[in-house]
Amino acid sequence: MTRYVMVADLRRCVGCQTCTAACRHTNATPPGVQWRRVIDVEVGEYPDVQRAFMPVGCMHCADPPCMAVCPSTATRKRDDGIVTIDWDICIGCAYCSVACPYQARYKVDKADFAYGADAAENEAEQYDPRKLGVSTKCNFCADRIDEGCAKGLTPGVDPEATPACVNSCIADALHFGDIEDPKSNVSKMLKEHKNFRMHEDLGTDPGFYYLWD
Amino acid sequence: MKFVSRKFRTQADRVDKKVKTFCYQCVAGPDLLTVNVRNGVAVGIEPDLSAASVHPGGGKVCVKAFGIVQKAYHPNRVLTPMKRTNPNKGRHEDPGFVPITWDEAMDIIADKLNGVRATGLLDESGYPRVAFSSGGGGTPQSYMGSLPAFLAAWGPVDFGIGSGQGVKCTHSEHLYGELWHRAFTVAADTPLTLYNVSFGANIEASGGVCGVWRHANARDRGMKRVQIEPALSITGACSAEWVPIRPKTDPAFMYAMIHVALYEHPREALDIPFLKDRTGSPYLIAPDGFFLRDKKTKKPLLWDLKTKKAVPFDTPGTDPALEGTFKVSGLEVGVDGAATEHKNIECRPAFSHLLDHVANCTPEWAAKICDVPVDTIRRVANEFVANAHVGETIEIEGQVLPYRPIAVTLGKTVNNGWGGYECCWARTLLATLFGALEVPGGTLGTTVRLNKPLDDRMGSLAPSPEGFLDYPMNPTDKENWVSRPNIRNAYRTLVPLSGNSSWSPALGPTHLAWMFQEEPPKNLPKPTQPDVWFVYRTNPAISAWDAPGVARKISRFPFVVAFAFTMDETNHMADVLLPDCVDIESTQLWRVGGTKYVEQFWHYHGFALRQAAIEARGESRDFTDIATELAERTGLRDAYNNRINRGGLGVRLKDKGGKYDFSLEENKRHSKEEIWDAVCRAASSELTGGKNSDGLDWYKENGLKTEPFSQVNWYLYPKMVEMGLRFEMPYQERLLRVGKQLANRLHEHGIDWWEKQLTEYQALPAWKDFPGMWEEDARISSGGEDFPFWLLTSRSMQYAWGNNVALQMIKEVADNVAGHGGIIINAGRAAELGIGEGDLIEVRSSLRSTKGMAILRQGIRPDTILMIGQFDHWKTPYAKNLHTPSMNTVTPMSMRLTDATGSSSDLVRVQVRRIGEAA
Repeated sequence: MTRYVMVADLRRCVGCQTCTAACRHTNATPPGVQWRRVIDVEVGEYPDVQRAFMPVGCMHCADPPCMAVCPSTATRKRDDGIVTIDWDICIGCAYCSVACPYQARYKVDKADFAYGADAAENEAEQYDPRKLGVSTKCNFCADRIDEGCAKGLTPGVDPEATPACVNSCIADALHFGDIEDPKSNVSKMLKEHKNFRMHEDLGTDPGFYYLWD
Repeated sequence: MKFVSRKFRTQADRVDKKVKTFCYQCVAGPDLLTVNVRNGVAVGIEPDLSAASVHPGGGKVCVKAFGIVQKAYHPNRVLTPMKRTNPNKGRHEDPGFVPITWDEAMDIIADKLNGVRATGLLDESGYPRVAFSSGGGGTPQSYMGSLPAFLAAWGPVDFGIGSGQGVKCTHSEHLYGELWHRAFTVAADTPLTLYNVSFGANIEASGGVCGVWRHANARDRGMKRVQIEPALSITGACSAEWVPIRPKTDPAFMYAMIHVALYEHPREALDIPFLKDRTGSPYLIAPDGFFLRDKKTKKPLLWDLKTKKAVPFDTPGTDPALEGTFKVSGLEVGVDGAATEHKNIECRPAFSHLLDHVANCTPEWAAKICDVPVDTIRRVANEFVANAHVGETIEIEGQVLPYRPIAVTLGKTVNNGWGGYECCWARTLLATLFGALEVPGGTLGTTVRLNKPLDDRMGSLAPSPEGFLDYPMNPTDKENWVSRPNIRNAYRTLVPLSGNSSWSPALGPTHLAWMFQEEPPKNLPKPTQPDVWFVYRTNPAISAWDAPGVARKISRFPFVVAFAFTMDETNHMADVLLPDCVDIESTQLWRVGGTKYVEQFWHYHGFALRQAAIEARGESRDFTDIATELAERTGLRDAYNNRINRGGLGVRLKDKGGKYDFSLEENKRHSKEEIWDAVCRAASSELTGGKNSDGLDWYKENGLKTEPFSQVNWYLYPKMVEMGLRFEMPYQERLLRVGKQLANRLHEHGIDWWEKQLTEYQALPAWKDFPGMWEEDARISSGGEDFPFWLLTSRSMQYAWGNNVALQMIKEVADNVAGHGGIIINAGRAAELGIGEGDLIEVRSSLRSTKGMAILRQGIRPDTILMIGQFDHWKTPYAKNLHTPSMNTVTPMSMRLTDATGSSSDLVRVQVRRIGEAA
């Protein structure tokens, strides 16, 4: 079996948002829709303060709460662990958005562009009306993975088969791969470093790991 | 716009062309990328991972590059030439811009330029009638096509009317860095450093891809970085430790580190052989503070412990004394050539003087100044010493070099303005004491901009008579001092250290060009306005201190030509707007690799092509076409082509050794393709010693051509040893002399307004009450009011130098980083003042006030507030609706706060009060 997961190395992430921008470009998401983003966290009280940057997005849970509440079966989980949304089936009820503990889902009801109602040429070229009125989120660039795998490439190793956010990361903080393969890059990293997953206590079994030591 | 519903497409068929190019929007680049194009439209940016093995940042580009697409298709982009119809200029005047043809625009500009040529290139004050300003730390050159060749062909041009560069840059570091170790910018040897003490160096926000990449790797392998700064920056967040320090007290912390090294550790902890043989530490100091020299050769003397006598510094086989008092005779050469012969006087080496100099700079002393616990200062100092690895070596490409994995790095506001000299001196000295200067793991320079040749740092090394690195000081001797400034900021007259390279005008006291407009300097020529002012990729009406005041002064400039992306606060005052192609529409070859600014240390060097990925939109034109047209219309065709042939575009088209010749015919007009094909062929030939002459088409396909660059060339040390040179540390005899001579010259000419600046020229710089200078300035300017807060700024990676405040996507992603869009204030202090999250607060300096939304954070000192970036736009589309305040609005231009290098700091004393509730 294969389960693709993302690993974010918090020791390396600088919160630059290059991944956020790369995702926006690659997936042509409308303004404000950030399937990948990095949050800026501050803990402690002056002068004992720590600040950290955490990439977030869909955690591709093994037991995704969003899927459980989806009345139309639009949200599904692939055999490789990637949680997807079929926009042809999604009815836009947004139950999933409410159910997701990671605030990873977006729903846009009307066409919106960077500078108002009119699309710039680049936006018009990428406009996809099927994304309106439905739930959207990170899909680990599934089509990229599928295309890459079809060419015999390895996700997380070969850029052509790897999510755009990972390819773009200037701190080499984001990594992607098959956690079921003990020899994979991500398996090795998780073995060598202390790590955690967000809201693990909720039992969602998220597929997004954070290295911290 | 009518949309065609598309069938779901896979990533692969979303793109039908990937075009290789580069991003050089900030000095931390250039970095490599591909533009994804579909149906002739740019739809995305990706890193150029095919270059991962060559580029020191894995072939990646930062977030800013992703804004280029939105920039190209911005709805408010200026897409036709325009002329002003309202002769009245000012913020509240409607310029009445109307579209015109390129032909008409060029007619208007050429008419003005030809008028200038007919009248004389210099005005009645001796200043160039034509001025050109650009921003971005010199990076606009990589977008200007062949315009530099036109400007060179033109003759005298004033490049020193500043927009921030020269005074808001790491200014003291530029000047002193080049003096001491050919370091226009200074970096840690991050891949090998173990311990990095960073005083506000916000490398994770300002170091670009290579900086982020290298430091992430360093953290991963265990490098410890201590970040010392008033507000917890991005870099502070990524550091092992954050030490909040009172603004402008950094020199005291570093002096205490020096004290600990010299007084709390055995001498053996230092690199004694390095100090004796590679520095001026053993040079004997005569009674008036100058070196004691050999009477015959005038070489500085040192005391040889072997022969027990004073000998010239370069006497072979000596064992120089670092400490002690010796009875010696010799010559002391002081100011303006005055020489005194000394016989049997007591002299001590420079190192002994250093010991005295820092004797009282204990951690206990510094703790009170810096508002940092004494234990922290002492611990950091001790950790620094413990990581020095004195005596160890490392093999780099077969060469055994010293290994000293410690480095102090400095950020902006620390390394410019008053205190900048002291910080740069202390940082360089801390490296020197342990032999960690210009060796693996230590403190390194990157490139040269004041020394020549600009593209060969190692080639710029030459000996001074004292055995140090020679330096192209502007003359201060009676015969050669430049009493009449060649440009309006008077850099050659006032700042010896700024040198006189092509970069020097922009590295002088560039704000003086603005200040003098309304406050004429006594006994210098009358300040004038340029007849023609070109502006490109800069917006001084926003980016200069006292931005509203600068806007007012710009409005009086008689004729302004602005290359315009959108309307903005500066081109609002322009007479003609010219739409140049944006990044992905135009062509230019650029030198990459080797060692460049910030953290760009490559194992390769060569050339990369920026090329048009899409057709130029509207009437926008490639800069090379614009420059060629200007040359044609001003009768400068031959001179323009000649300048291109002579290397005006970064590469000489004809090899001096006769290996290749791609020179353009000088009396013929050439297309941009012909010009860049010739440049590409010459570049390929230069790189390969004439073996390869790939042209423009090859670069369009491949993007980049490189050859290996030895890592040994990252380090000055081997070459210094080879040439028998010493680092000019710790004692600054040359600066002492230069300062006194400059004082003489100024006083002879009745110039008495540069007195405070003259105090900076000290052989061993002493701590001064630097914070007090700002407090005093605010008090005097306001008539005695109290301003209890420090206002600082901080780098935004998303915005800095990108000319991208009009880009929605940049704003959107930048907003994920705390502090954008408002004013960061300590949460505890805010509570005391009744200020809540999001409340509207007024920030008032002695100059004026501004306002913005309060952002409450714990990671900032209670006496400090912070505004990220440079905003407060009132004309730039999109940005003008952000209501983001800028410290430039409230920061005065002040002669009192201008240091000897002609710089000050992004720092101002302010009052803060709540004026409204959160929206």
